[in-house]
Amino acid sequence: MFDFLAEGNGPLCGKKRSRREFLQVGALGPIGLSLPQYLAAKQAGKVQEGNDEKSCIMIFNLGGPSHIDLWDMKPDAAQEIRGPFKPIRTNSPEIDISEILPMHAKVADKFALVRSCHHGGAAVHDAGWQIMQTGRRFTGGVETPHIGAVANYLTNPRNDLPPFVVLPEFMGRGGGNLPNGQGGGFLGKAYDPFALMADPSKKDFKVPDLLPPDQIGATRLERRRNMRDLVEGTVKDFEASEDARLMDENFHSAFRLMTSEKARSAFDLSKEPKKVRERYGMNRVGQCMLLARRLIENGVRFVTVNTFLTVFNELSWDIHGSKPFISVTQMKELVAPMYDQAYSALLEDLFDRGMLDNVMVAGLSEFGRTPKVNPAGGRDHWPQCFTVSFAGGGVKGGQVVGKSDPIGGFPAERPVDPGDIVATIFKGLGFNHEDHLPGPAGRPYPLVDFGNEPIHELFG
Amino acid sequence: MKKVFFFAVFTAVITNVSTIAADLSILPEKISLNGPEARQHFLVLEKDGEEFSGEVPAQSLSVKDEAVATIENGVVVPKGNGVTTLIARTEKGEVSVPIEVNGFDAKFTWSFRHHVLPVISKEGCNAGACHGALAGKGGFRLSLRGYDPPKDFYTIARETGGRRIESADPARSLLITKPTMATPHKGGKRMDPRSRDYRILAEWITAGAKAPSEEDVVVDRIEVLPEISNLKPGDKQKILVTAFYDDGSTQDATQWAKFTSADETVATVDDDGNVEVIGYGVGSITAWFSSKVKLARIVSPFPNQIPDEVYTQAEKQSFIDELVLQQLQSLNLKPSRRTTDNEFVRRAFLDTIGMVPSSEEVTKFLADKDPKKRDKLIDHLLTREEFTDYWAYRWSDVFLVNGGLLRPDAVKSYYEWVRTSVEKNTPWDQMAREIITAKGGSIENGATNFYAVHQDPETMAENVSQAFLGLSLACAKCHDHPLEKWTNDQYYAFANLFSRVRGKGWGGDTRNGDGIRTLYVEPRGDLIQPRTGKPQIPAPLDGDPIDPDSTEDRREALAVWLTSPDNTFFSRAVTNRVWAAYFGIGLVNEVDDLRASNPASNEPLLEALAAYLVENEFDLKALMKLILQSETYQRSSEVSSENRDDPRFFSRHYPRRHMAEVLHDAIAEVSDVPSVFTKLKLNDGSTQDTKFYEEGTRALELYDSAVESYFLKTFGRNERDIVCECERSNQPSMIQVLHLANGSTLNEKLQKKDGIVDQLLKKNGADFSALVDAAYLRTLSRNPTKKEKDGFIAMIGKAPEEERHEAVEDLFWALMTSREFLFQH
Repeated sequence: MFDFLAEGNGPLCGKKRSRREFLQVGALGPIGLSLPQYLAAKQAGKVQEGNDEKSCIMIFNLGGPSHIDLWDMKPDAAQEIRGPFKPIRTNSPEIDISEILPMHAKVADKFALVRSCHHGGAAVHDAGWQIMQTGRRFTGGVETPHIGAVANYLTNPRNDLPPFVVLPEFMGRGGGNLPNGQGGGFLGKAYDPFALMADPSKKDFKVPDLLPPDQIGATRLERRRNMRDLVEGTVKDFEASEDARLMDENFHSAFRLMTSEKARSAFDLSKEPKKVRERYGMNRVGQCMLLARRLIENGVRFVTVNTFLTVFNELSWDIHGSKPFISVTQMKELVAPMYDQAYSALLEDLFDRGMLDNVMVAGLSEFGRTPKVNPAGGRDHWPQCFTVSFAGGGVKGGQVVGKSDPIGGFPAERPVDPGDIVATIFKGLGFNHEDHLPGPAGRPYPLVDFGNEPIHELFG
Repeated sequence: MKKVFFFAVFTAVITNVSTIAADLSILPEKISLNGPEARQHFLVLEKDGEEFSGEVPAQSLSVKDEAVATIENGVVVPKGNGVTTLIARTEKGEVSVPIEVNGFDAKFTWSFRHHVLPVISKEGCNAGACHGALAGKGGFRLSLRGYDPPKDFYTIARETGGRRIESADPARSLLITKPTMATPHKGGKRMDPRSRDYRILAEWITAGAKAPSEEDVVVDRIEVLPEISNLKPGDKQKILVTAFYDDGSTQDATQWAKFTSADETVATVDDDGNVEVIGYGVGSITAWFSSKVKLARIVSPFPNQIPDEVYTQAEKQSFIDELVLQQLQSLNLKPSRRTTDNEFVRRAFLDTIGMVPSSEEVTKFLADKDPKKRDKLIDHLLTREEFTDYWAYRWSDVFLVNGGLLRPDAVKSYYEWVRTSVEKNTPWDQMAREIITAKGGSIENGATNFYAVHQDPETMAENVSQAFLGLSLACAKCHDHPLEKWTNDQYYAFANLFSRVRGKGWGGDTRNGDGIRTLYVEPRGDLIQPRTGKPQIPAPLDGDPIDPDSTEDRREALAVWLTSPDNTFFSRAVTNRVWAAYFGIGLVNEVDDLRASNPASNEPLLEALAAYLVENEFDLKALMKLILQSETYQRSSEVSSENRDDPRFFSRHYPRRHMAEVLHDAIAEVSDVPSVFTKLKLNDGSTQDTKFYEEGTRALELYDSAVESYFLKTFGRNERDIVCECERSNQPSMIQVLHLANGSTLNEKLQKKDGIVDQLLKKNGADFSALVDAAYLRTLSRNPTKKEKDGFIAMIGKAPEEERHEAVEDLFWALMTSREFLFQH
C-alpha cells in the first residue's frame, strides 16, 4: 500500500515536522488518493501537527485602501498624485506614514510594510479577494482554498472552538460575480470557516444562539440528540451529497461548541475591561479585532477580520469619490481613524500579552488605488501596486520591504505577488509552503505555486 | 444542423463501443497548404466507429513526394506546388491523407493582424499580468490579448519615436531583443531566437513593419479537431485549431491558440493544446484565437459495466428522458429508481409551490388509484396561488426588488408587476419586452423600476445581459472579453442602446425622494466609446446595427433581437434557470455564467428544451410541466455504486438544502405558527417599520429582500444587491445549526400555545402511536418505520405527564432538524 504519510524530516523555523509524501501520488494512477482516505488517515491521528502554537489573524481591508494616502506616501510627487495628506514620522526610523494614521506611528516598530505587492488579476473586488486569500486566481473550475481552510485541514483542532473563524460575517458579493475565496475550495466545505454573523460592538452582543434557551437543560438536550439520531438513521442517501454530510458535521460541531465552557467564555466580550474595549474602539472594526485576540488566546488557529462587509452601499476603503462612495479626503473622518485605533490596539495588546511572537497579523486588501486622484476627488482600483502589512509570527517590525516607483504605480524593487504573501502566512503558521494538498481528482496540489516563496526579509 | 450531427455521433458510438474494431484516421482529413509559410499540425488517431478515441504513436511519418512537402517537428511544411500524400505507420496499421500545396511561389509577407499579434498573444506579452494590463508594464502598454490592433501597431512601431523596431537592423529591435533577453527584460525570456515566432517578428520588421489595415481579412470563425473524443483517464490527445477568414481562406492556428479546461477534474490542457484526461465525466477544452472561441469535448466514461437494457428498457416520458439516458449510457452511469409516491408528493410540492404538503394532501395523493395521478398533481400545483408567490419571489431576485435600493411605494409597484406577470403566466419574452421598453411612471408601470435600480447605460446593458442572457459583460467594458467572444466594441454598441433613457425625479441615491419617477426616452444622444472617443454604432451584441440617426427608442430594436426565437442565448438562459430551480443545479452551472466556454453538462438537452420553450411561445409553465413529468425529475435520490460519483448528469436526484424562504415557511407551516415581518433593514444599518405584511404572511410572499429576518439572512436568502443567483446560498453552516438548536424561530413556534404540539396532544391524548404517526406525516410526509415509532413512543412515554409537552416539542424538533426535513431529496 502506498504510504503517503511517510515521515521525512526537514528543518523549519527550528522545528522538525513531517512532510506529506503526496508527490508520490503518481504511483496511485490518475485518480490517486481520495479525500476520504486522507481524512480517515487524519482522523486516525496519523497526520502530524505543524507548529501547534502558531496562529494568524488576517485583517482583510475590503474596498482596497489607498496605499498612497496611508502607507506609501509620495510627498514629492505632483499634487494630483500625492493627495491631500502629509507623511509623519514614526517610532521606526525606516517608516513614514500618513498623518491620518497617528496611532500606527506609535507601534511602527511592531509591524513591517511590504510596499511592492501587485497582482495580475482583474481590477474588480472579488477577483482580488480570491487571489489574495488563496494565492491564486480560480481557473478550470477549480476553487483554491483559503489559507485558514488549509491550516484547518493540515492540523487537528486545539479544542471545541472552531479552528477557523470569520468576523463579523463573510464578505458579500463584489460585483464581478466571482467566488470570494473565503472557504475550503477543493478541500471541501467541511473546512469552511465559522462566520459569526453578529456585530460584536452591539450592546447586547453574543454569539447568536450559542446557548440553549433556559427551558432546555442537559436532559432535554440529550433527549433531542437521541431523538434526532433516531430520525437521521433512516435515510442513508444523503451521504453522497457533500452539503448533506456537511449539515451533519455542523450538528456535531455545534453541539460541541454549545456545551463548551471555554467557547462561551472566548466569545464573551463583557469579560474584557471597559478600558480595553475602548482602546480598540467601540465600533464593529475595533470590537472584531478584540474578539479576534480573545479567540486566538482561547485556541482558535486562524481568524479573518473583514473590516467591511461589502463595497455596495456601505462605507468602506472603496474611495471612488463619486456618490455613494467617499473621497480621499473623507477617509480621515471615519474609515482611517477607526482602523488606526483598532489595528494599533491589537498590536499593542498582543505584544503586552506576549502573544505577538506566535500570532501573525497580516493586513491585506484586494488592491490599492490609482496613483492619480480622479476628478471626483477619489481614487479607483489599482492592483498593479499596493501595500500590505505584517506583524508578529516571527516578523521583524519597523521595516519596509520592497519599494514602489515615484508615483506608487508599480513596484520598483522586490515585487511581491499574492502567492508570496500566502507563502509568508504559511511560514508564519509554521507550515512548509512546499507541502502538498490532495487537489482535484486526487492530484497533489502545492500550497503555493512553484516559484512563490515566503518574503524571507520579513523574518528577522 | 451541426449540433444534430454532433449528437448523432455521440450516440452512435456508445452502442458500438465494444463491437467495432479499432480503425485509424488522420486529422485533418485533407491537408491544404496555401503559400510558402502555410503550416499544418495533424493527429494520428484511433477511431471507434465514428468517434475518436485518442492518439496513436506513429512508428514512422513520411510524405511521398518530398519536393511538395515535408514533415518538420511533427508539422507539415510546403516545399513546392503539387499534390502528394502523408503516410503514418503505427503498430495498428497504416493510414494516409492527401496533401495539396498551392501558391508556393507567391509573394508572401507577414501580417501584423494575423501573425504578429497572434505571436505576441501566444507568448503572453499582452496578458493581463504583463503589458496587457490597463497601465501596461515598464511603459510599454498593449491591448489585452490584442483586441485593438491599430493601437498596438502604433505602440509597437511608432510610440517613443519608433525605438521598439529598428528597420535598418531588425535584430536590434526591442520587440525581439526583449523577449529573447538579448536586452534585460523583467518578464524573462519568452522566445527562442531559433523559433518560428522569432522569425515572424523579425521578417515582419525587415519587410517594413506594415501596419494593419481596414482591408485585412477578418477571422470569421474557428474550428477545433477533433470536436469530440472518447478517452479514458491517462489518455493524452492534442487539439488542433483552424481559423477561417472572411475571404474563404484558412490558417492552422494551433500554435497561436490559447487553451483552457472548463473542468480540470476531468481533463487538463497545456499551452500547446495537449489534453490529459485525469478523471471521469465530460471535459471541455476551450480554444481561443483572435476573439473567437470554440470547444472540444472529451468524454471519459465511468468504469462501470451496465447492460444496455438498463437504458433501452427505462421509462421515457419525453425527449428529456431520452437525452438524459443517452448521456448516462455514454458515461456508464446507472439511473436510480423512480421515487415512491411519498417521495414524489413531497418533492413536487416543495419544488413547485415552495410548501410542504399537508397531511391531508399526502393522504389523498397516496389513496388515489389513478395511474395518471402524478400528472394530475402536477397540473394542480401549477395552478395554485402559492405557485405565483414562489415564482414572483424568484423573479424578484433577478429583477432586484429591494427596499434597500428603492422607496417603499416603488418596491410595491415593481413587485406587483412581477407578481401579476407570473399570475397571468405572461410569456417570458413578453415580460422581457415589458422591462426592456418600459416607460412612464414608476408607480403606474412597475417595470420601469428596473431602470431606477440601474441608472446609467453601461449598468443597464450589463444587467439586461445578466438577467435575460445569463451573460456577464462587465469584462468587455474595458477590453475584449478574455476567453470569450464579446468585444469591447460590442459592449459599447450594446450600452449605446440605452444612452437615451432618462428619468425625471431620479439621480444619485436610488432611495432619494418619494420613489415616484417618470421614465422617458430622448430622441437623440449617444454614449461615447472611450477607446475611440466616438459613439459606437448601436447594436444588440451580435445583432444587426441600428441606424444611429433614427429618433426611435433604440430599446424597441433591442427587444426584438433579444426575444427573437433565433436568439438562443435568451431561450437557453431562462430554460437553464428553470431547470436549476427544479434540480438544484443548472444544465449550465452557474446560471449566471452562460459563457460559450462554459458548456451545458448535456448540450443536446439544453438545446432541445430551449427549442421546446420557443415552440411553446415562452410559456414557462409548459416547460415546468414537461420537467415535472419527466422520469428524470421523478428519479429518487437513492445512490448506487454505479452513480455515486455523478456530479451533474442526472442519474439520480441530488439532495440540496431548501432555500431560506422555503425552509422558513415549512417550519411555520408544520408548527402552525406564522412569523411576523414588521421591519425593514436598510443598507446603512438603520431599521424602519413596515406595515405591508399582515400576520400570517409567508416568507415567499415578501416583496422585498430588505425585510428584516435573522432566519432568512442566516440561511442565505438572495440579498438582491446585484443581479446574480450567486447572492443566494443554500449551503449549510454551523450558525444555522445553532439557530435551529437554540434560536427563537423553531423553539418558540414549537412551544407556542395552541401550536401544533398543543393540537396533537389535545387530539391524541396519551395515544402516542397516533401522535407519532401524525407528527411524521406532517413533517416528513411519510409514516415512521417500526424502529422509529417504537423509539419515539418509548422516549415520550418515559417523560412524566407534566413534561409531556416538552417531550413532544422535542419529537418535532428532532424531525424538523433532520436532513430529511431540511433537504430536498
